[in-house]
Amino acid sequence: MNEPRVSIQLDGNGRVYQPGDTLSGGYELESILSGDVSAVEVSVLWHTEGKGTEDLEVHDFQRFSTEDGDWLVPGRRGRFKTTLPNSPLSYDGLIVKLRWCVRVRVFLRRGKEVVGEMAFRLGDVPAAEAVVS
Amino acid sequence: MARNFRVYEKKRGHRRTGSRKLGSAGEALFFAVFFLLGCGGLVALFTTLVVPEWRVNHEFVQHTCTVLGTRIAEKAESDGGTVYRPEIQIEYLINGETYVSWTYDIHNSYSGGRDEKQAILNQFVVGAQYRCWYNPADSKEVVLVRGYNWWVWLLFIVPISFVLIGGGGFIYSALHLGRSAEYRAATTRRMVQPELFDRHGQAGADFPNVPTGANMTNSPGTKLAFRLPIATSPAWALFTTLLACLMWNGIVSVFLVIAVSGHLEGEPDWFLTVFIVPFVLIGVGLVVIFIRQLLVTSGIGPTLLEISDHPLYPAGRYRLFLSQFGRLKMNSLEILLVCEEEARYRQGTDTRTETRRMYQEQMFLREGFTVRRGEPFEADCEFAIPGNAMHSFKSDNNEINWKLLVKGNVEGWPDYQRTFPVIVYPNVSGSSNP
Repeated sequence: MNEPRVSIQLDGNGRVYQPGDTLSGGYELESILSGDVSAVEVSVLWHTEGKGTEDLEVHDFQRFSTEDGDWLVPGRRGRFKTTLPNSPLSYDGLIVKLRWCVRVRVFLRRGKEVVGEMAFRLGDVPAAEAVVS
Repeated sequence: MARNFRVYEKKRGHRRTGSRKLGSAGEALFFAVFFLLGCGGLVALFTTLVVPEWRVNHEFVQHTCTVLGTRIAEKAESDGGTVYRPEIQIEYLINGETYVSWTYDIHNSYSGGRDEKQAILNQFVVGAQYRCWYNPADSKEVVLVRGYNWWVWLLFIVPISFVLIGGGGFIYSALHLGRSAEYRAATTRRMVQPELFDRHGQAGADFPNVPTGANMTNSPGTKLAFRLPIATSPAWALFTTLLACLMWNGIVSVFLVIAVSGHLEGEPDWFLTVFIVPFVLIGVGLVVIFIRQLLVTSGIGPTLLEISDHPLYPAGRYRLFLSQFGRLKMNSLEILLVCEEEARYRQGTDTRTETRRMYQEQMFLREGFTVRRGEPFEADCEFAIPGNAMHSFKSDNNEINWKLLVKGNVEGWPDYQRTFPVIVYPNVSGSSNP
């Protein structure tokens, strides 16, 4: 049997969005047996990369759990939809980078987790260049 | 077990992440220990300080005693010092039985200050009669003073802070045990900024993570809309430089005196002498920085900068009005628009900050002119924010800061630079959705 994985697809233009755009798409749990899933978390978030300690903030968060009575079937395609905020925009800086992504985290029985991630850009800020003084 | 409780998880990118469960459990354990230490401290303080005082004030019986003698009890400390307590020998009669005891208060505690203890003893005359209070359950337990000490309650600050931090931290850790980073971030944001989430759990702030810059528009300008606040006032910079200079050199001077007196007495400590040299050099450097700051603060007058609008937007054009006060012969005066990235990270126990400039443009330059007292140099200019500029950004450990720098080169004086932060908002007109 293949390794369990999560596949995520974005609707529309796919990867580049502007503030106020609607981000929507779907996700599917692959190679996961029915009854093995205890919870699924779908987040639209940004996080920083680079020199500094990572910051992470969630724009949209949904959690489905068998404990809460949600019916979690691996083969069924899940959907997400959110309106993207005005900020912060995606950014490729010198020591600060800002990445947006959709992250789906699946909690399996016996404590194992499977994470799927799909990156996208918010805004069209070009990559930064060092200032030559 | 190993499957459910791994010490390390897979590498993510270039980072090795530890087991989240183990981390959460360790965090909860840390706060639990903190909480228990606080509880233990509270119980110890109550039983050793509060309860005895309460018993003396509410349960002990007032009686009369005769002073037989006085003395100062001494106890040597491990650090070589000595602590003292006053002791008065009294005789009292209860139900026909005579008791003799050395006593003063219920705490029987030692502390520094021999003279204070002697002053207490001087209040008691041998042979005279005084009031005392004895324990009806154990007549041998007797005191000459009662009441409440206010300092006892100050001691509670320490264990109470342990209980609050430990208890709060434990509850937070326990609630988030085994939770994902996203779950934590979402719940934290809901707690801190509940108004940002509507009932579907979606953030709804206008410009998340862009500083509001409210204090930048609360001072109207004389020529333009707003007078921009300076990042660090010269007087404050002078004070902090002075403080650093005094603290560093104060500590170093103690060791310097020891080293120099050793040389003067013909018994040089060469290890101390060599060891202290770099510290002395840093101290000299701090003195130089302080003198430079003093010259800049006292000799160069205030710099005022006004702006036609705020906050700023990419592709927006704005006007600036500059006033430079003082009595100066300027080689040059320039205004720069800069944008810098700032990243904070921990290295060991230190928090380090790294800054990189990724945008710089000269807005204004004037060379070779004189500023006279009472006649400030005034100039205005126009500038634009680049159309594809990144907006100002602030999160816990990362920032993108736009600022206007006024840099002056004065003949015969140190160069100076004054910083005026500005906020750049993102443009939101470019939605690509139908």
